[in-house]
Amino acid sequence: MKQLVEDIAKALVDIPEEVSVREVLGEQVTVLELKVAASDLGKVIGKQGRTARSIRTILGAAGMKLNRRFTLEILE
Amino acid sequence: MTQRKYSVESIGARIDGFLGPLLASAGFELRYKISDADAGEGDFETPDLLVIFSGPDVDTLLANRAELLLALEQVTMEMLRFGSDEHSRLSFDANDYRLLRIEELRLSAQTAAERVKRTGTPFRFNPMNSRERRVIHLALRGETAVRSESAGAGPGRQVVVYPAGMASLPDVPYVPEPRRDGPGERRGAPRPRGRR
Repeated sequence: MKQLVEDIAKALVDIPEEVSVREVLGEQVTVLELKVAASDLGKVIGKQGRTARSIRTILGAAGMKLNRRFTLEILE
Repeated sequence: MTQRKYSVESIGARIDGFLGPLLASAGFELRYKISDADAGEGDFETPDLLVIFSGPDVDTLLANRAELLLALEQVTMEMLRFGSDEHSRLSFDANDYRLLRIEELRLSAQTAAERVKRTGTPFRFNPMNSRERRVIHLALRGETAVRSESAGAGPGRQVVVYPAGMASLPDVPYVPEPRRDGPGERRGAPRPRGRR
């Protein structure tokens, strides 16, 4: 899942080298912390948060197949 | 109509290079085919490119009003840096979902128009994305007794159909229906109220 978020984020931003994802395992939920360059924040969030919402939808559907919940946290 | 701007030749490889690894790391069992769309397939949507999905996970793709399909489409368009005016140039689909949805929207538009004519009261649709709102507006473009406009902001933006001469209602913030469906009070979206 870390790979998934990383791949999507890298494709969206201007500075892919500054994309990093940290996986924080919880009992019920795995939190994926996404960090991008400050200038790229808008790219991963999108207008009215649309892109972030899409990434969360993809993550949610992928998680369902693994019976695990994933949360995306975009670090600012 | 607008000229074709993109083709499989110009952006097919980029779409493939993005979607292939994405579907694999997400574990979705889906195949897809990227093709140039035929010009003038219906007057509601005239995409340049089609990406048609098939495979065991198509049901997942189309669940909740094709939520996943539309999410994949949206991030793909962001990856390609499409401008906001280019969002109907690429269309993701599976099992003819898009065509059926357009038909459904067209019928809803007609039903809403009839109702507004009959009651003289505005009708407010549930929130839709810009592409779906466009279909409603287009479906009503021939009507003289009613007019339609979009109101509200962001994900809550919705089409309102008015009797032709009526002034627009002030925007009402959209309150989504609570997820749990239980007995007791209904706290839905504010109902449209006619103004005379």
